[in-house]
Amino acid sequence: MNLHREKRRTAFGLISPAVAVIVAINIFPILFALYISLHFWSFGRGEPRFAGFFNYEELFYDDRFINAILTSGKFVFLAVAIEFLIGFGLAFLFNQKVRGLVTLRKIAILPIMVMPLVAGLVWFYLFNENFGAINWFITILGFDKVAFLTDLDVALWSLVAADVWQWTPFVMLVMFAALQSLPEYVYEAARMDGLDRWQTFWRVTVPMLKPSIMIVVLLRIVDSFKMIELVFMMTKGGPAGRTEVLPWYLYVTGFQSMDLGYAAAMAVVMLIIITLVTQIFVRGLEYREGQE
Amino acid sequence: MSTTAATEPAGAAAGAAALPRLRSILILGTACLVTGISLIPLYIMITTALKSESDIFAWPPVWAFEPTFQSFYNAFFLFGGQNVLVFLFNSVLITGASTAFAVTLGAMAAYGLARFKFAANKHLAFFILSTRFAPPVAFIVPIYLMFNAVGLIDSQLALIIFYTSMNLSFVIWVLRSFFVEIPVELEEAALVDGYTRWQVFRRVALPLVKPGLAATAILSAVFSWNEFLLASILTQRDAATIPVYLSGFSASMGIAWGEYMAVGFFAVAPIMIFTLVLQRHLVRGLTFGAVR
Repeated sequence: MNLHREKRRTAFGLISPAVAVIVAINIFPILFALYISLHFWSFGRGEPRFAGFFNYEELFYDDRFINAILTSGKFVFLAVAIEFLIGFGLAFLFNQKVRGLVTLRKIAILPIMVMPLVAGLVWFYLFNENFGAINWFITILGFDKVAFLTDLDVALWSLVAADVWQWTPFVMLVMFAALQSLPEYVYEAARMDGLDRWQTFWRVTVPMLKPSIMIVVLLRIVDSFKMIELVFMMTKGGPAGRTEVLPWYLYVTGFQSMDLGYAAAMAVVMLIIITLVTQIFVRGLEYREGQE
Repeated sequence: MSTTAATEPAGAAAGAAALPRLRSILILGTACLVTGISLIPLYIMITTALKSESDIFAWPPVWAFEPTFQSFYNAFFLFGGQNVLVFLFNSVLITGASTAFAVTLGAMAAYGLARFKFAANKHLAFFILSTRFAPPVAFIVPIYLMFNAVGLIDSQLALIIFYTSMNLSFVIWVLRSFFVEIPVELEEAALVDGYTRWQVFRRVALPLVKPGLAATAILSAVFSWNEFLLASILTQRDAATIPVYLSGFSASMGIAWGEYMAVGFFAVAPIMIFTLVLQRHLVRGLTFGAVR
């Protein structure tokens, strides 16, 4: 009994400092955001006034907000889909037994760690209409220059391209590690069962990789949803709001228009969206674990 | 995976020998291409930093040029009257301190969660993980008001506190998976030898998870070093970090490409070196211990 109490005290002592920090800096701000969102609250315009759900109602009729949601959805879908397809393929490529691949793989994953703001700066330069290297390449091939960051139909794709450059190696790296951890005997069993390569891929490899696939896709969705650096460096939400993703609109509302209550309402909506997405994936993973 | 050369007729033997070689060359060639694409933006960053101003704006782009350190000199000693060294110092200080706190508090909590069974254990662990998925932009309004209320705007302490919290959930999750793998018998033996639980943690468990500590420390440092959004909101001049400096880039000024690329180089280079050296537990860290 005494031992039990001592154990509990040790556990409490070990865990509580971290939990205290997380509660103060992560949980409290979420509740505070909820509180702010129920008020008319702006810098230097008097005391906050209670607003009920006014800010949330306002979101419904705000075309700019609807546009931001759709733009975010488009960006996340395009970026994650392209990153996953290419990264998944590259994982198989780098999984081959060929000399030199190990070194190349270590270099190929460098973009993951690049400061996103620097990535934005460099891609801003690369996409420049007047002296950018990509337009130079395009003219060499005999095409006309493209206004990558100001053309209404192209700008979002340019952001997607920069994101794909940075994060495809992440998908590749994780899927590669997952492939490496698959035991050899499942392939032997598949061969003995007379499965050809295609069948082995779809019936053995893919199902066994499924948990890793779900984790990598979830992490990419969550991270690309919060992306703001590329927008900040490359387009500032333009042209005509075509690249105005949700984080950017929130940032502008809060710290340029100074409308904190409205920005907080957006923050709450973002948290709800991300919680729903995360829950879907966690349920999926738990369901699988339960089956095994 | 291997070819079925053994079952093929003798006449095809020569062709079968040439085929794997061709396949290797194709694989290696594709891998080189991918690695090249990963490196091009970094190459452009470095060369732009080393170009003279007229070369930076040249059309068509100049590929062979005489390198000059003028941009580096300007960025560090002249440019805009702001001293980059102050930003660099802030980045190093804030990154170092927040990493130390996050790993210390995180290791304690991870050990507590891994070793002591209590009713809320699993819920608490998931709760801690879920904080990692919240988009930072959702925090900017409440966090700004909170730090403003206690007078911590534009102080290094504000970012140290926020980054500690930001990295804690990740550190706890990854280290927990490392602690779980240590056989309990080792620690029980130490307890029998008269160690207190705290001593067991310090002298038996911690040394056994050194690779995990290294991986989480480096990834925490990268996240703090690269973080832009909260830094831009919580700091103005005195405590501003390198990303805040870079975000001051304005295309309408349009003259300082070389200087910003030079600072970008210093923002990226240390991280790149770390990444190349420490690859072993990268995946495990980046996926919260889910994929190894």
